[in-house]
Amino acid sequence: MPTDSASLEQLLANPRVWRGRGQSSKRCGLSSGYDVLDRHLPEGGWPQQALTEILIEDYGIGELKLLMPALARLSLADQATEHNEPGWIAWVAPPFQPYAPALQKFGIDLSRMLIVRPRDNTEVLWSAEQALSSGTCAAVLLWPDSLDDQSSRRLQLAAEKGRSWGIAFRPLSARSQPSAAALRIELQPGVNATRLHILKSRGGRPAVIHFPT
Amino acid sequence: MARVRQTPVWLRDGAPTPPEKTPVVKRVDADGQYGLPLAEAPAAGNAAKPSISTHLWFAVYLPSLPLQAVSPDEGLCAVVEEQQGVHRVLIADARALEAGVQPGQTSNAALALAPDLHLEVRSELREQQALEFLATWLEQFSSFVSMADRDLLLLEIAGSLKLFGGLKALRQTIVDGLKQQGFDALLSIAPTPLAATWLARAGQRACIRDKSNIASALRSLSLHCLSWPPTICESLDKVGVATVGDCLRLPRDGFARRFGVARLLDLDRAVGRLPDPRDAWRSPESFVADFEMTEEQSDRELLLAICEELLQTHERFLLKRQLGTQQLLFSFYHLKSAATELHLGAASLSRSARYWFELLKIRFEQLGIPEPVIAVRLRGGHARALSTDTQGLSFTDDRETSPRYSMSQLAERLIARVGRQSVRGVVMRRDHRPQFAISERDVLKSSTIEKIDASWVDGLQRPLWMLSEPVLLSTDAGHPVYRGRLRLLAGPERFETGWWDEDGVARDYYVASNAAGLRLWVFRNRNTDGAWYLHGLFG
Repeated sequence: MPTDSASLEQLLANPRVWRGRGQSSKRCGLSSGYDVLDRHLPEGGWPQQALTEILIEDYGIGELKLLMPALARLSLADQATEHNEPGWIAWVAPPFQPYAPALQKFGIDLSRMLIVRPRDNTEVLWSAEQALSSGTCAAVLLWPDSLDDQSSRRLQLAAEKGRSWGIAFRPLSARSQPSAAALRIELQPGVNATRLHILKSRGGRPAVIHFPT
Repeated sequence: MARVRQTPVWLRDGAPTPPEKTPVVKRVDADGQYGLPLAEAPAAGNAAKPSISTHLWFAVYLPSLPLQAVSPDEGLCAVVEEQQGVHRVLIADARALEAGVQPGQTSNAALALAPDLHLEVRSELREQQALEFLATWLEQFSSFVSMADRDLLLLEIAGSLKLFGGLKALRQTIVDGLKQQGFDALLSIAPTPLAATWLARAGQRACIRDKSNIASALRSLSLHCLSWPPTICESLDKVGVATVGDCLRLPRDGFARRFGVARLLDLDRAVGRLPDPRDAWRSPESFVADFEMTEEQSDRELLLAICEELLQTHERFLLKRQLGTQQLLFSFYHLKSAATELHLGAASLSRSARYWFELLKIRFEQLGIPEPVIAVRLRGGHARALSTDTQGLSFTDDRETSPRYSMSQLAERLIARVGRQSVRGVVMRRDHRPQFAISERDVLKSSTIEKIDASWVDGLQRPLWMLSEPVLLSTDAGHPVYRGRLRLLAGPERFETGWWDEDGVARDYYVASNAAGLRLWVFRNRNTDGAWYLHGLFG
């Protein structure tokens, strides 16, 4: 009966219904700029309004380059939020100085960059939560000393509330710790290719991708 | 005394005929200021037809002000004043009066009647403060509040009637408010300030709206309500003049000659024959409020609640004036050591108590309070005119209602917690030397950023991460080492610049990578020792 099929569709449209595969998510991801990665991500790109974790052992192995196309896209003026202004990109406790000429080369709007250097880890998490939930930051990058399950949940909720994209950089040792992040990626450098391992992906499957350097 | 005051603009229009226009005998009184016709009453232009006055004065007379200013709560209490070396009771509260204490008694006599009597010495300063407090409070009902006397306030309410739902409602609001704040007041309403004053002093709950009714209402008033000098009242009494009505019946020139022109002027002003301009009282534009505690407190929750209360007072203060401020200063006073101070700053003008409280909470968490606190003071910064925008309608998306704030508000919050030096924006500079090509800026400063043409970077490799200081690398047989021997992939890119200032560089930059696949930006100093340094990571 037509009524039955209509009610089934209604039921499936309910966001609380989780479908293992082939789900038609209304939210589309933010294209990462790398086709091979987009194919492996369930929303066809970085999950927006969520927390992403990137696990790395050393800084400088290509973790920023991985994000640059997506951040540049957020930086464009027509990606306006409801405030009718393009979102800011907040860097909370970066380990080094983000270098403006290189960022500009990638297409990042330098006038909308905010660098926060808190004194301790509590302030890092607090600042990141504020920035995520404010609704003015399109993306918030953070380098916490440690991030427990509860804090990652808080950040995840803040990202949902502020419709922002949170990216937390964590050491490889955090791999075994539970996390509320929607996406967890492990990056390992190699001589010829960077190995990208999707550890957890909400609505997707784990995968290993090799990026040529 | 007749004094010429500057007439407020709004009083000049439609005021009764000024005395100059009546072409009768003019005389200059003792002050040499006023000319006044004595032969006949100045023609009150429209005395014949009944007129609803354009002005309506509300007098608030506070007979118990000396008592209520010093002891706000009910108890067995009396205020004494020193008269010729003897303390005499000036005023006593209801329970003291029941016990037989009478105004005029010496303090010893009063104490003999009521041994538990609490005596306070009269404090004119406190009375003045209480009066100013009330005047400030009354400003919400009228834009024109005048301190007519040290125990009497006048409000011009003709313009406020519609807003506050009519005379009766307004009167009731004021009565309730005064009672709530612990003041007994006698209220009267009349078209002229003096009539309202006299009626209030006489204790009559009068409400006169028509100017032609003033004279009949004043007629029966005793002269003691007029605050005329006692000698004059005495001499008037001697000739059998005891009421205002008697005065009004006397011949004008004789009355002026015998009792002073000022008295006649008073009468004319009271009945509305002459204009009676008043000075408006303005509460001070800068805000200071104190909260004093009876004992020292160190409970932070309690202190925070006190601060919130002060902020609400501050908001009301600013709202009345349509002002906002960017700075606040909280001072927490201790008994033994110097006060702990807490500055709050905002990027834009604000008066919202909730907004300031949010900022305060962030800072208060970190504030070290060395000792218990005995008093809190809030001092508002320089206030400027603030116009608020109406908020847009939002019934479509319920998520719109979740708290969101602008970039400057976010920056303020972050600055409040981590400090101004730790929340920065990024700018590029015109300098080819890698370490000078970037600089930081204050995010709250104007966001007009010079766009710098950085096309020269296009063909060059620049790392995303820059070390704030280059790190010296060890070498292995002339090759730089960073977690393994480095392989040079590209370069050299030669910099020989900056000789015009102290930081001249002569460097060859290379892109290098190590066995682990890390890509680095390294350089070799050409002019000195040829040492290798790590300067950036390609990230």
